[in-house]
Amino acid sequence: MPEYWIGDAEGRVLGPVSLDVVQDLVNSGRLTEITQVSRDGRNWGAPPSFPEVMALLLNAPSPEALLQSERLEAGRVREQLQAMQGRPPHEIFRLDRNASVDAYRNAFFKLVKRFYPDRVRSQAHPDLRKAYADAFQFLSRLMVHIERELAEGGVVSPLPVVRAVPPHPVDDEPLTPIRTSPPQPARPLTVVPRSLTPPPRPGPPSTPAHEGHYSYKPYEFVGFERQGDRVEVTIRVTARNSRMFTEHPLANLKTDGFFLACAKALPLGTLVDVIFRFEDEHREVRSRGRVILENTGGDPSRPTGFGVRFITLVDQDRRFMQQYVDRAAAR
Amino acid sequence: MSNGPILIVDDDAFVRTLLREMLADQGHPLREAENGQQALSLDGPAPRVVLLDLLMPQMSGMEALALIRDRWPTTPVLVISSMDSDRLVEEALQAGAAGYITKPFHPVEIASAVERALAA
Repeated sequence: MPEYWIGDAEGRVLGPVSLDVVQDLVNSGRLTEITQVSRDGRNWGAPPSFPEVMALLLNAPSPEALLQSERLEAGRVREQLQAMQGRPPHEIFRLDRNASVDAYRNAFFKLVKRFYPDRVRSQAHPDLRKAYADAFQFLSRLMVHIERELAEGGVVSPLPVVRAVPPHPVDDEPLTPIRTSPPQPARPLTVVPRSLTPPPRPGPPSTPAHEGHYSYKPYEFVGFERQGDRVEVTIRVTARNSRMFTEHPLANLKTDGFFLACAKALPLGTLVDVIFRFEDEHREVRSRGRVILENTGGDPSRPTGFGVRFITLVDQDRRFMQQYVDRAAAR
Repeated sequence: MSNGPILIVDDDAFVRTLLREMLADQGHPLREAENGQQALSLDGPAPRVVLLDLLMPQMSGMEALALIRDRWPTTPVLVISSMDSDRLVEEALQAGAAGYITKPFHPVEIASAVERALAA
């Protein structure tokens, strides 16, 4: 089988792989910046020197065709989601009726991965992004439901139907940066700054979110900054607002997430880089997550804001955060 | 089974850190390499499991996979990649990978894949 090495703009190499694989990756939009090609991994040339590779690039689906196929894929995902709703969870995950929580978790991770919004290219058809986000959210809620029912010793029942949050127009309002400490070195996961002395936070008051449950004012502690296809959310965590990790039934630390009650609700599926600043502990925790819940005010019985499920949160940080909220609750 | 480390090979320092933190609780010694060449130049006991990225500078993950299999024939190699073409998965498995995990991954998924590889 003919073998190819493909180089990208960042100097990374994929190969040897067959031309079929190159075709798959080009057609799915996952390989868009081929800068060099080789047949032996040693001698490299520009793509035009390899007519068969050039043909793939030239025959790559047009943006319109790609959008059309993504729209069709969105329809298939919606059908699949419809078929899952109301079915017993063990059937959805193809498990035995008495499967353990670990078996459910493993099956969940395998299935939900297909719908990770990361799998959709950034310019994908909005229907596809929405379909993936809906499926991702359904499965995430289902897993929370399963964990609860099994923890209570019950039999796992289908997920009750939940009223959907009404759709809202995409919010392109500029996000507000927050910089309360000098820029951090590149990508440390846990940083213990020597001092964190945030300046006073000027700014207009936001709508209090669901007063009675969330008593803080979001502008006091949270900042947003758009970073390409993701949003960096910086949160100054205090005992007062640590309920963000415990209050929401679906997005809380035990379900690998948190709910940020604030006037701005990020759209479902938004990728967020979260920086939690536990200033009284002189500790910073970084994580990456995905918006799995949003309420822009359509459901007045719930606080406005958005829920995030962590994609990456290391155990050490999770333990620290759990201890923090436990201490805060005991005060 | 050797008492070697779990070897993480990925050019992305963020991913290496994540994997290191995710596996820290399992109690296995860990080593890291930024690319295939660096991985192959490591001395000491054979790794018990290798977690290998596919798209890396200097030496691709597939090349590294072949050389790692030559050097440590009994060490299972788990490929971790954002490239999720079915045919690529098939080719990686044919090239000797013991498993293929697509990014983004979850800590439980990584831990259970490593445990399965160790038990195999």
